Amino acid sequence: MNRLIIGRYFPGNSLIHQLDPRFKLIFVLYFIGLLFFLDHFFLQVIFFILTLVIMMMTRVSLSIYIRGVRPLIWLILFATVLRIITTRGGVVYFDVGFLTVSHFGLLSGLYTFLRFIEMIFISTVLTLTTKPIDLTDAIYFLLKPLRYLYVPVEELSLMLSIALRFIPNLLDETEKVMNAQRARGMVFGEGNLLEQMRALTPLVLPLFAHSLKRAEDMADVLEVKGYKSGEKRTHYRALIWGFKDTLGVVLMLVLMLVVISFNI
Amino acid sequence: MQSKRTLFLIEVAIFSALALILDLIPFLSFKVWAQGGSISFAMIPIFIISYRWGLKGGLLSGLLFGVLQVISGTAWIAHPVQGLLDYPVAFTVLGFAGLFKTQAAHALKVGARSTFVKWVIIGVTLGSTLRFFSHYLAGVVFFDSLIDGMNIWLYSFVYNASYIIPSAIINIIAVAFLFSKRPALVKQPLNHAA
Repeated sequence: MNRLIIGRYFPGNSLIHQLDPRFKLIFVLYFIGLLFFLDHFFLQVIFFILTLVIMMMTRVSLSIYIRGVRPLIWLILFATVLRIITTRGGVVYFDVGFLTVSHFGLLSGLYTFLRFIEMIFISTVLTLTTKPIDLTDAIYFLLKPLRYLYVPVEELSLMLSIALRFIPNLLDETEKVMNAQRARGMVFGEGNLLEQMRALTPLVLPLFAHSLKRAEDMADVLEVKGYKSGEKRTHYRALIWGFKDTLGVVLMLVLMLVVISFNI
Repeated sequence: MQSKRTLFLIEVAIFSALALILDLIPFLSFKVWAQGGSISFAMIPIFIISYRWGLKGGLLSGLLFGVLQVISGTAWIAHPVQGLLDYPVAFTVLGFAGLFKTQAAHALKVGARSTFVKWVIIGVTLGSTLRFFSHYLAGVVFFDSLIDGMNIWLYSFVYNASYIIPSAIINIIAVAFLFSKRPALVKQPLNHAA
């Protein structure tokens, strides 16, 4: 159970780690958006290099990034091959029946491949360098304007924080229940589906019952400490927007200009 | 005595976290496809909340579970729209099971165990069906961004059906069994002021 790590945060002190989570979240969304407008070979090269540079700046080893791509690699290759054989145009290199490999086909296959890889890499940068709890604060910040549409953004972010906060506790709890049931002769993780389902009940029933009790206790504590849903809250962790983040925004604008200049 | 609203927020939060845990415990989930399509019991906590707190609770805990997967980095996102449909949307719609909360609670109150189980099965089936359509659409969006002319609708249908249908059946059995064994799980605490 200890091998089970929730979240992929990789502690560190690199420049990317230090950036404001709000900036990182906006940048990643923006970067992924731009990836859909790279219709020029030169642009593809720029974005690929940029992605690699950002990855290197996190000082997390490349193998961790590659591990993130591995589960998806067949899907990506499948998509790439489909792209190659369904796009026609330019010099034809290979043509047997319905299978045609042309210059444009290869190019557009390469673009598809790069787009997937870059999308996965850049979002991995975000989850590797940002604690889930900071990410929650960043999401809260971005969704804040929705308050005017009566979306309970405050409460949503509180719930997300509570959920994240409780994951380690609940994992401990799960392990405790599993050990208690093992001591009674229960076997987990063996047998067919039906047997595994039977093992589920003695595990989840105590877990659920305990969680309900815990929720009730916590609600009491929150209210004793003066929490009232719907009231304005202050925050314990304050995000600080630094000069580096402003520089990052400048980079975003430059990227936009580069993409536009190639698309005109 | 605490207000119902605070308890509601916390129960939903904790059960969303439980969903993530059930999804991650190795022996409780069976990978069908290398990329994500897994059969797990993660939907059970969402259904518990749906029957405890109704539609609103169900939708909220589903949404939180979807977002948790994204921010904890366990989600597979290859396209923005696909990411949205595959995670926040797909799990939010599970909460529609909560539509049958009143009927289920009533059946439980009058002691009609089989009627109660019937409403649970209907709700879980509805939630799972909607989830299937969300993944199905996500698949279509994903492949549509790649190819034109191929039968993406069929492909996405087969791919998603291959793990959602068994997953739904297992969850229906598990939820019906758990709820009938311990109906107290879906009973709301009565001694709280609204």
